[in-house]
Amino acid sequence: MAKPGQTRRSFLGAVISLAAGAFLIGKFLTPKTRQKKALLTVPKGDLPPDGALVYREARVALLRQGEEVYALNLVCTHLGCTVNVTPAGLVCPCHGSSFDREGKVLKGPADRPLERYRVRTEGDFYQVLV
Amino acid sequence: MFKEFVKHLFPRVVQKRNLSFSYTLCLGGLAFTCLLLLAATGLLLLFYYQPAPASAYQSILFLEGSVWGGRYLRSLHRLTSHFFLVLILLHTLRVVLTGAYQKPRELNWLIGCALLFLAVFEGYTGYLLPMDQLALWATQTGMELLRTVPLGGEIRAILVPDGVGENMSLLRFYVLHILLVPGSILCFSFLHFYRIRKNKGVLPYL
Repeated sequence: MAKPGQTRRSFLGAVISLAAGAFLIGKFLTPKTRQKKALLTVPKGDLPPDGALVYREARVALLRQGEEVYALNLVCTHLGCTVNVTPAGLVCPCHGSSFDREGKVLKGPADRPLERYRVRTEGDFYQVLV
Repeated sequence: MFKEFVKHLFPRVVQKRNLSFSYTLCLGGLAFTCLLLLAATGLLLLFYYQPAPASAYQSILFLEGSVWGGRYLRSLHRLTSHFFLVLILLHTLRVVLTGAYQKPRELNWLIGCALLFLAVFEGYTGYLLPMDQLALWATQTGMELLRTVPLGGEIRAILVPDGVGENMSLLRFYVLHILLVPGSILCFSFLHFYRIRKNKGVLPYL
């Protein structure tokens, strides 16, 4: 009988390495889509109308203007200091950049507005999503 | 002609003394292995790289941060490219020291020089693609150097029609890096191997 060019062992080896290769490439081609996770959960009653809650540790401020509730990232867009929240607006202690309540730049050296986080209403709580 | 070419690429018989390791140190073969590895990793990187000035660096960050094995693949591609150039230079040095550029192998020496030039150019075009500060200024330096050689201005106008790191130049470097230059390197490599067969192996030279 003619000897087949392919042995069972080499066939199994080829199948296994093809399957492993396909698995690894599949893993490479499916990137982690960033799951938004809740940074803060705040009871609705804590946030007064037209007020603000500041979380310096988390570097986030939760602000309310009329019905709109939004969160600002307190990292200054200039060099990354934590900005102070004052009744007049947000002021960076390092180089004096100032922002209005919506995060827009009033005075440099920062040239981009503060980053906004999404806020989700979850029952009686606000959740800040990062 | 094509059939003959393929026959010479995969010889039926190889002389045992032509496989002498201590003579060639297999430097050319190692360089070609690097080229194959570069093609494989580069192909996978293509799935994530975006050749636009605004998003190129972001896409690299995404690749390194959020893709399984992305950082490893990119590092492998970069490291292998260094090895590729070093091995080609050592191979050139070996050919010079053993006198292998002499008759009847002058043509293969010229093909080899073309391959060396193409490999350096491939490395140079790839350098710009990540679009970080190092990439930008290294490419800028190279382009300024090009001005000083004859015809350099014309070549620069073709490579960089709108300034280093802007839309058109990045796209041109990208096309050169992933298609034209590697394609030429592959063609020249096969010609290189074909000529080795035509010259009846690598031994003896002197």
